[in-house]
Amino acid sequence: MKKSKFRDFILHLVIMCFAAMTLMPFSFALNNSFRSNAELYRSFFGFPREMRQAAHAGWAMIRGSDLQFAVEDWDNEGEESVVSASTAFHQHVRNFTRGYRLAWDVLRDYMINTLIVVSVTASGVVLMGSITAYILSRYRFPGSRFFYYMIISTMMFPAVLTLVPSFMLVRELGLLNTYWAMLFPYIAGGQVFAMFIFKGFFDGLPEELFESARIDGAGHVQLYLNIVVPLSKPIISVVLIMNVFATWNNFLWPFVVNTEGEYHVIASGLYVMATSHFAQNFSTLFAAYMVSSIPLLILFTYATKPFIQGVTSGAFKA
Amino acid sequence: MMSTKAEGTFFTPRFKFNLSCYFILLIPISMLTLFIYVPVMWAFSGSMFEFEIGGDSQFVGFANYYEFLFLDPTTYPSLLNMLFITFFMVCVRLSFPLVVAKLVFSLTKEKYRYVYRIIFLIPIVVPGVAVQLIWSGMIYNDRGLLNELLRLFDFSEVGFLLAMGFTEEFLRSISPSEWTMGWLSDPRTALIAVVFVGFPFVGGFEVLIYYAGLTGIPESVNEAAEMEGCTGLKKFFLIDIPMVMSQLKLILILSIIGGVQGFENLFILTRGGPGFETTVPGLWMYFNAFSFQRMGYACAIGVCLFVIIFTLTFLNFRYFKSTEELETQK
Repeated sequence: MKKSKFRDFILHLVIMCFAAMTLMPFSFALNNSFRSNAELYRSFFGFPREMRQAAHAGWAMIRGSDLQFAVEDWDNEGEESVVSASTAFHQHVRNFTRGYRLAWDVLRDYMINTLIVVSVTASGVVLMGSITAYILSRYRFPGSRFFYYMIISTMMFPAVLTLVPSFMLVRELGLLNTYWAMLFPYIAGGQVFAMFIFKGFFDGLPEELFESARIDGAGHVQLYLNIVVPLSKPIISVVLIMNVFATWNNFLWPFVVNTEGEYHVIASGLYVMATSHFAQNFSTLFAAYMVSSIPLLILFTYATKPFIQGVTSGAFKA
Repeated sequence: MMSTKAEGTFFTPRFKFNLSCYFILLIPISMLTLFIYVPVMWAFSGSMFEFEIGGDSQFVGFANYYEFLFLDPTTYPSLLNMLFITFFMVCVRLSFPLVVAKLVFSLTKEKYRYVYRIIFLIPIVVPGVAVQLIWSGMIYNDRGLLNELLRLFDFSEVGFLLAMGFTEEFLRSISPSEWTMGWLSDPRTALIAVVFVGFPFVGGFEVLIYYAGLTGIPESVNEAAEMEGCTGLKKFFLIDIPMVMSQLKLILILSIIGGVQGFENLFILTRGGPGFETTVPGLWMYFNAFSFQRMGYACAIGVCLFVIIFTLTFLNFRYFKSTEELETQK
């Protein structure tokens, strides 16, 4: 027994080393999002100064001491003033969150665009994929095999082959600089994989269910809404989440089709921001990276299970 | 719904039913055709033309392919870069996450195993673009982690060594603090720096996939191995690796496809520079299409990459057997 405890201790140690190295860049980014460039250049490591001073002032505020504090105003080119504890506390907090405020001003529009694109894409993909899979999985009709192979074989074409012609197509259709330039290709591409996953699941549903419903006079719509959807809730959430992650991370396509830069999503917006006049403003950039991670962090927290299920079933192939 | 009376011979209930199926498939199939099949065909046909966007096109036959394969001086260096990056990616994505998955799997308590799997998954919430930007701004930057770490080791300031009689000049020359450089902008290190983004390469996806593979090993196999005295490293190489072969195969294919066609990270980190040190064919395709307006040439590069990916995937399916296939063969 003692031996296995020692072994576990060593294992913990090694795994923690790996975990620490994996998380290191992100923790440094988080730390430095609260520090000014001057602080960063003075020393790369180190706790955010304004945060520490905010803690001091905050503690003085709680004790009700009437000490005076000297604070800089970062929004006002570091102008220094001597103020009471509570004013100092609020000023310090404003200082170390300055990066976040600036980042959010830029990211807000991108965030809205992303939420629109991601939610419409995900619902479109699930809807298209599931009705196609329902038809192809439950019925045989002339051409059903053909349609199945026609859909499946698109998985063979890599994104690199279709990038340039897709751009030309979207341009010909006059969709550049619209949401549709992202929505249509995303849904068309995403439904293939969704169909593949759904079909595998629907094939396993007992035919008797459908048969009895059909005898009761149910049509396609009733069958789909009353049998398929309620039974496939878990698989729907898997497909939804996989799709949200894929869409969220797609950088190149939004970057290419938004020639005027109005409809950038988070991914392309971050790149645009990093190459703009913010390029040397590290606290703002790092704050932007952190802000851009929050929505997926929330999603991930609430949907860890379907996510893990999706990954382990090999659902991340596409 | 199928009980309606047949009117004539043509509009049988069966025919009506089929019609409803076609009707439902109409939207998905037409979207698929327009946004996937049309671009695919356009890629092949467009590669035969020389044209700018919105400009006239001129039929040139296979000249674009000829140019890419034989005339373009960037082709072979960029293909070599691509090979190196792909090879590196395959190596690290088949090894590091598997080792970590095995370590996590070996823990006694299920609670900790779950916690660690979640911990390694956390970084996926950061958008891929942000990961690249964090690495270029935080690790490889002039004031980044790597350079700052090196600057910590300046032997010429260590009194003990000076007292031992080493000259300050000599000490400085052997100090790591002299090795600081622009990792992404120096031609000697750019390619290495690019592939080391993401160190230690323990991606949450891969860990989860390998972990699932390890969980799938039947208890009887584990027990038999233990009875035969096959434990530790021996078990890892003789039992675990063959048993997770299908997961390894999946990651292998994904890494190869990703390595051949991926260029977003290079676009963000170096834009192919310095010079053409980190250019890959995909990136060259992007620049031809969107910077030089050579759409036909870009299509031809895309088709070449498609051929490479298709061949490699086919070979992979043909010759690299997964666990199940190995079992059925016996």
